[in-house]
Amino acid sequence: MARTLPILLLLAAAVIFPLSVRTIFLEVGIERQLGTVQKIFYFHVPLAWIMMLYGVVCGIAAGVQLRRQSRMAEAIAIAAGEMVIVTGIAVLVTGPIWGHASWGKAWTWDARQISTGLLWLVFVAYVLVRRYGAAGSERLAAALAIFGAVDVPIIYYAVKIWKTTHPSNEVVGTLPPEMWAALWPALGALLATATALVAVRTRQELVEMDLDDVWVEAEDVKGEAT
Amino acid sequence: MTANAMLWAPEAEAPAAPAAPAEGDEYEAVEGLDRAGIECTRAFEAVAAKKTASDYAHIVWAYGVLWSLFAIYGVMLWRRGQRLRGDVQALRARLDAKK
Repeated sequence: MARTLPILLLLAAAVIFPLSVRTIFLEVGIERQLGTVQKIFYFHVPLAWIMMLYGVVCGIAAGVQLRRQSRMAEAIAIAAGEMVIVTGIAVLVTGPIWGHASWGKAWTWDARQISTGLLWLVFVAYVLVRRYGAAGSERLAAALAIFGAVDVPIIYYAVKIWKTTHPSNEVVGTLPPEMWAALWPALGALLATATALVAVRTRQELVEMDLDDVWVEAEDVKGEAT
Repeated sequence: MTANAMLWAPEAEAPAAPAAPAEGDEYEAVEGLDRAGIECTRAFEAVAAKKTASDYAHIVWAYGVLWSLFAIYGVMLWRRGQRLRGDVQALRARLDAKK
C-alpha cells in the first residue's frame, strides 16, 4: 500500500489536472470585478489550504514524536514540514502575482501575508534544525513545528482580527456553484500531488532511519570482530 | 493597415466615392455609426485586450512557478531515492563481504 499510494495519487492528479485546466479556462466565466486574472484564485487558494493542512499535520506529528518517540510520526513530521515549504513558496509567489495584477501592488504587508510568511519561515527553521541540528535538537525542532501549527489559525482569522487587503473568509462560502465546480478539481489535483510527494518522502525518511540503524549495527559487529 | 487607420484614412487616400447606384443595385446607407462612437469602441477594446493579455501573462507565470516547484521537489525526492538505493547496495556489499 505504501508503494502504490503515491502512484495512485499521481495518476489521479494526472487525470484531474487537465479537467481542472479545462474547467478554469474554458467553462467558468470571467469574474466581473477582477477580470481574467481572478483565475489565479483557483490554485492560489487550494495551495494555501494545503499549506495550512500540512502545517497542522507537521505540528501534530512532531508533538506525537516528542511524546512517544514514534519513528512514523517523526517521518511524517519531516515530510509534512517540507511540503509546507514547497506549497508556502507557491502561495507566496502566486499571491503577489495576483496582487500585482489586481491591487497594483505585489506585497501590501497585510496581516495575512505577514502571518503566511512567518509560517513559511518557521517551517524552514524546523527543517533546517531537523537536518543540521546536533543530537537532542529534535525537541527544539518539534517545538518549532508546534509553534508553526499554532500560526495556522492566525492566518485564517487574520482577515477578521486586522484590517487587510485580502477579502474576508466568507467570500469562499458565497461563491457561485460554477466557481466551486472549478475550485474542487484544482484542489483535488494539487492535494493528490502534494500527498503523493509527502507519502514518498515519509517512506524515504523511514528507510533512511532503518539504514542508519543497520549501518551502526554493521559497524558495531566490525568493531567487536577486530 | 490597422482597423483604426482604415477608419481614419485621410480624404486624399480615401477611395473615390462610389458612383451612383445603377438601377436595381441600390445600397442602404449605414446609419447609427459615427466617428466618435467607433473611436470610443476601438479604444475600449484595445484597453480590454491589453488587460486580458496582461492577466494571461500573470496566470502563466503563476502556473509555471507552481508546477515548477512541484517538479523540482519531485526531482529532489527522486535523487534522494537514488542515493538511498546506493546506500542499501553499499551495505549489502559490506554484509556479503563479512559472510
